[in-house]
Amino acid sequence: MISTDTIQHFTISIIVVNRAGALSRITGLFSKRGYNIDTLTVGPMAERPGYSRLILASSGDEATKAQIIKQLRKLVDVAEAKTI
Amino acid sequence: MKGVRFEMNGAAITVETLIAHGVTDVFGYPGGTVLNLYDELYGNSDRITHRLSCHEQGAAHAADAYARVTGRVGVVIATSGPGATNLVTGIATAYLDSTPMIAITGNVPTTLMGKDAFQEVDTTGITMPITKHNFLVKDVDQLEETLCEAFRIARSGRPGPVLVDIPKDVQVNEADFRGGQPLPDIPTPTANQQCLEEAAALINASERPYIYAGGGVVISGAEDLLRQFAESLDAPVGLSMMGLTAFDSEHPLYLGMTGMHGLPESSKMHAEADLIIGIGVRFSDRATGDTKRYRANTKILHIDIDDVEVDKNVASTASVLGDLKEILSSLIGMLDQRERPEWKGRAKKVRDEWGRAVMDYKAQDEHSFTPRRIIKTVRAHATDEMVVVTDVGQHQMWVAQHYGFKVPRTLATSGGLGTMGFGMGGAVGACVAKGGARTLLFTGDGSFHMNMAEFATAVRYGLPIIVIVIDNSVLGMVRQWQTLFFGERYSQTTLERPTDYVKLAEALGGSGYMVSDLAGLEKALNGAFASDIPTIIDCKIDSDEMVFPMIPAGGSFEDMIVERN
Ligand SMILES: Cc1ncc(C[n+]2csc(CCOP(=O)(O)OP(=O)(O)O)c2C)c(N)n1
Ligand SMILES: [Mg+2]
Repeated sequence: MISTDTIQHFTISIIVVNRAGALSRITGLFSKRGYNIDTLTVGPMAERPGYSRLILASSGDEATKAQIIKQLRKLVDVAEAKTI
Repeated sequence: MKGVRFEMNGAAITVETLIAHGVTDVFGYPGGTVLNLYDELYGNSDRITHRLSCHEQGAAHAADAYARVTGRVGVVIATSGPGATNLVTGIATAYLDSTPMIAITGNVPTTLMGKDAFQEVDTTGITMPITKHNFLVKDVDQLEETLCEAFRIARSGRPGPVLVDIPKDVQVNEADFRGGQPLPDIPTPTANQQCLEEAAALINASERPYIYAGGGVVISGAEDLLRQFAESLDAPVGLSMMGLTAFDSEHPLYLGMTGMHGLPESSKMHAEADLIIGIGVRFSDRATGDTKRYRANTKILHIDIDDVEVDKNVASTASVLGDLKEILSSLIGMLDQRERPEWKGRAKKVRDEWGRAVMDYKAQDEHSFTPRRIIKTVRAHATDEMVVVTDVGQHQMWVAQHYGFKVPRTLATSGGLGTMGFGMGGAVGACVAKGGARTLLFTGDGSFHMNMAEFATAVRYGLPIIVIVIDNSVLGMVRQWQTLFFGERYSQTTLERPTDYVKLAEALGGSGYMVSDLAGLEKALNGAFASDIPTIIDCKIDSDEMVFPMIPAGGSFEDMIVERN
């Protein structure tokens, strides 16, 4: 939603099932809803086989930040999403 | 191939899993990459009925409407490439209105994928943003569990379409079949007690509560509880278009549809409330208009199953997440029983001043062939339980405003996507869902021309659908905007088509009537209701009829237009 809040920069940690298309689902969500991706890194999780961790830097106001987390959690392939 | 077997090919696993999920009807269209699947359907036609559409889009709308009127998962099947792309509009339509649907597509063998093989498209890539989830099954060993998962995702929580793309070799290869039994639903978290208490406190403190209920109430089957809730609050109820059928239109607390083309009293009370209780709604722009002004002088309590909807379009004062039935029944127990004669009196006053003036507008309406009269006349022939399907445009809004729904799930209409062409395929699906019971389709001359081929489907399967074409010779809804906002410059909205609907109906094996007055309509309806073959009634009306009231996009109640000036 539109808010007069100031833009902030934040980093999100996402744990995602290692499945074909999982990454494009996440980047697709960002482009579809007009959220920013400033940087993105992905790697398999040694401690959790079959899953990858994404570290994503984004920006937006407080409401956008909250929406991004909720939208990410709604994706079937996403096991966890939180700001760090 | 009957019952549970040990080793089965992917096509058999697919069909057996559908049957194990209680699927009795599927819609679709065959082709190269689903030959194996169709061969399996051939052998199981006594257990699962496939109905062939004229176009995959029609099949998708049929599966969607089937789900809308039953609440069960609708299933559509298409081949790869053009078959899959033809589903896209249908899947997006289901997605925007949260319909539980499974789309099964074939694809080229995994060995050819990525090589631009004949009829290859990236089906999961194309449908990713318009499905709740989708799967590409590359290994037959994963097929059964994927299909079970697809069903579970489609129907759990806030429902939605799920696509399963099955390459041809996966349909051919064999794997163990374990019975295809449905997985339990993904559980919906129970409502938070503190949120419930906050909600109850807001409600109890409110002098002028307005209940704005939507499609979520229909989806969760919470109509009864909504009525009890409204009655114990003694608060007026307005519905979004998707919410129609969630509340008896003759109930004294019902004000009518709210939003862009909502009834004046409903929109006015919506605007005057000190607390808007949104139940199973997403505060869409068509319902709220300008969100700043919408939000300015009121508190908002948002009750829904999907947490992303909270604070997405309109910031809420408080919210409760979870199953609507559970939330409403908890809240009812927490409310101070009270009557609100003043607030209700206001509703009555607004209705007398505005409602009657606008909605019973034009005395000549009683005698002339207006859309409102047409809809009321058809309504008088219909039972409360009869399913009504619409297309998209002015006719859709007139039905939403005037039909008067009483029974849940008796309306199938494309709300979120506003898909012209939904109607004819949708009517086929709705009619099949109701076991071939009489079904009504209100369509426009523009919309009908988009997918009218599905009338042939209705004939083929002997479906007693009555198609009422509100024939204004124009793309009325677009023309209305041109009239109001573009200085009557009617760019490409005048349909100079000589279509003879009577001959068309007859050519396709149905029957037809052309009417231009109420007496003619009565006669046609008597004929149509006495017959079981699909029938078109072409109702010729004036091209200048408009849908009023109208709150222009991005406006609010003060901007309401009630007549052409
Ligand atoms: C597939 C599609 N294309 C275009 C539109 C834009 N549109 C909305 S209403 C409308 C006119 C509909 O005309 P008709 O079916 O004759 O209904 P009427 O408004 O005249 O009742 C159009 C073109 C749409 N909603 N869907
Ligand atoms: Mg028209």
